[in-house]
Amino acid sequence: MNDVKQELIVLRQILSIPQKFSTGPVMGRFLKELRDNRRIMANRCPRCRRFHLPPREVCAICRAPSGEFVEVGPEGVIQSYDIVYYASPDPLTGEARQAPYTTVNVLLDGVQGKDTLWHLLNETDPTRIRRGLRVRAIFNEQRTGSIHDIKYFDIIEGGTKGAAQ
Amino acid sequence: MSNTHEDAFVVEGKLALPYQYFAGTVGSRFLTALRDECKILGQRCEKCGKVFIPPRATCERCFSDLSGAWVELGTSGMVANFTVIHYEEPHHPRKAPFVIALIKLDGADTPLAHVVAGVDPSSVAVGMLVKAVFAENRIGSIMDINHFEPA
Repeated sequence: MNDVKQELIVLRQILSIPQKFSTGPVMGRFLKELRDNRRIMANRCPRCRRFHLPPREVCAICRAPSGEFVEVGPEGVIQSYDIVYYASPDPLTGEARQAPYTTVNVLLDGVQGKDTLWHLLNETDPTRIRRGLRVRAIFNEQRTGSIHDIKYFDIIEGGTKGAAQ
Repeated sequence: MSNTHEDAFVVEGKLALPYQYFAGTVGSRFLTALRDECKILGQRCEKCGKVFIPPRATCERCFSDLSGAWVELGTSGMVANFTVIHYEEPHHPRKAPFVIALIKLDGADTPLAHVVAGVDPSSVAVGMLVKAVFAENRIGSIMDINHFEPA
């Protein structure tokens, strides 16, 4: 190593990678129902009757091809939540996310089993969020066939703790 | 099954990945020489008698420390091998078709990969003599050499 003061080079870049995601028939149906009908669809295993949300092509337990679609939600209860204070970069834009924001796993009304839908909650005050709180999916006016067609979940004021059976 | 293949569709998306590349002490010396002096530096291992490029801290043969063993290479050399890229991709340094060649610079024992331009890709051949064309605006990147052109 030399003792001379040396300039060190750091190159900063944003790689922008175009990509395509093929939904397949099952995820395609889920996203189209969000876009066209503002409906959240789960599907269920014809063998073990387990609900899949988001819907799956094949049951993860029985490996049976999935059966019927069932509308669930748009209301449900918070199963777990995270208030995120770290402004991590959004991989779709490279820009830092607005922090804080809250992510929730919602057990939607009509779901039999444990599958929850992961989404954003429109509340970042920890004193106002708790497990079991009733929430409702709010849809965007402009929908494109994406999970972001649901804008976020809103807390239902006066909603009581209750299981979604 | 209530779902059909008509339900399937394609979502066009874009991933953006911010990253930073730290060139290290050895890489930085190489890049600042490109940027400030338009010089291409290699490193000579006295033990092996070989001259290496791109820069490295350690000889790949005998593990000698090469971090101070700088030698100036010529800015011209010979195409040791090449490929013609025919497909478009946003991160390519050029619009397709273009040529990426392994260029053995005068005084070096290992080749440097870079763009060969200013010539029809179909006329590029192994053994072709080329010289470096430096970029007008140099930022301390390997693209401070804009390309190599036929000498």
